[in-house]
Amino acid sequence: MPTSRDDFGIAFRSALLQRGAAQKFSLVFLLFLAATIFFLDIYGFGFMKPIRSGINDSIYRISLVASSPSRFFPQVTGGITNLLTLKKENKRLKKEIEIFKQKEFNVEYLTNENKNLKKILDSDESLFEENIIISKVLIDKSSPYLKSIIINRGSKAGILKGMPVMDKDFLIGRVVETNYASSRVLLLSDLNSRIPVVFGKNQTQAILKGNGGPKPSLEYLPEGYIIKEGLDIFTSGKDGIFLAGSPIGITTDVNDVKLFSESSQLSFVKVDLSKQRKEGF
Amino acid sequence: MLRFASVNKLINLGPIILLYYLSFSEVDSHFESYFEILSFNIQLIIIYFWCLKRPELLGNGHIFFAGLINDVVMGVPLGLSSLSYLIISLIATYVKNMTVNTSITTDWFTFFLAIFFSNLTFFILISNFTEIGINIVEMSYNTFFTLIFFPFFWFLFSAYNSIIISGKNV
Repeated sequence: MPTSRDDFGIAFRSALLQRGAAQKFSLVFLLFLAATIFFLDIYGFGFMKPIRSGINDSIYRISLVASSPSRFFPQVTGGITNLLTLKKENKRLKKEIEIFKQKEFNVEYLTNENKNLKKILDSDESLFEENIIISKVLIDKSSPYLKSIIINRGSKAGILKGMPVMDKDFLIGRVVETNYASSRVLLLSDLNSRIPVVFGKNQTQAILKGNGGPKPSLEYLPEGYIIKEGLDIFTSGKDGIFLAGSPIGITTDVNDVKLFSESSQLSFVKVDLSKQRKEGF
Repeated sequence: MLRFASVNKLINLGPIILLYYLSFSEVDSHFESYFEILSFNIQLIIIYFWCLKRPELLGNGHIFFAGLINDVVMGVPLGLSSLSYLIISLIATYVKNMTVNTSITTDWFTFFLAIFFSNLTFFILISNFTEIGINIVEMSYNTFFTLIFFPFFWFLFSAYNSIIISGKNV
């Protein structure tokens, strides 16, 4: 059927090359341009880094403005709900404060004891230096492919690739991309995330692997090891990136981990600069 | 008269504004908090529909830039979404060149081909040229639901398209 083949060829060529009043660029030109940009970006040519950083910073800011309506409405409805439940919560919180006050005394006692013991062991005091910056979450766009957030601090504030990021005291991920005034944080739930962890009385070691879902799983466990439900998971610090002992989550009955921090509820996070500076990353 | 012309112009810009807004904003179609596997890609439907029905309203340059913006927001290498979107546009333009009158069923079937080639390109590029791991199951769900929701948006955009046409006739 040479005629239908000709038709196919003409229609395809026309689709690729056609230009007009509305179509200022032909598809073939744009496809070529997109492919060129893609390969320049992935092979990390030096001149692409500042360009990409500039583009990222500006788009993140515009994205924050564009997302404000979607943030505003849930905030208003949430505010009304909060008002209704305020009284109950206030009572509950007062009780909790009392409990925490008692616990605080215990913590203070234990901290002092720990410091004294460290002094005895002649340990490095710089480990206790607080080198943390607080950062606002600009974008937490949920994607079917990547689980990440954008924060409003970048290389200008001293953030480097690989730094651990926390919500309160719970580890939530690490910095994977830095721009001048923003950074991207890869969350623990992302498919590409791998963190060495310890848990249980025997300090069992494993790797916490993100699976794209809300509950990451534990891998590389000792042979035949059966995980008990309700064990707290901490970073082991074996990778040299994360400080040992940061709480992450709790084990469930199906070999996965329920994270302490809810990634969809993040508004401010803490970036720990100390470990990277010490390591000279 | 002048006001009517500017309103008409604004209505004509609707698809571009929606495409850019979806690329920029956090308003997306990933509903994992409601139903774990439910996610779909409205951008692909917008591009396919408007390239097929009224290509003069959605230039290829805008599709390219919307793709770049989406790449930055999503955190994938630049140009990846642009390529994926332009493939959708290419197939839509090809279908437009080859057919005279289309119905929802033919559009739905050709959209399936478009989304298949678009996601195949995305997957091949991301898995062979980057170190980003993606969950093929989630990607399949996304493709499936995008396809499932196509008729709904087809009717919605067709209604919008009729407003543009009636506006022009007036």
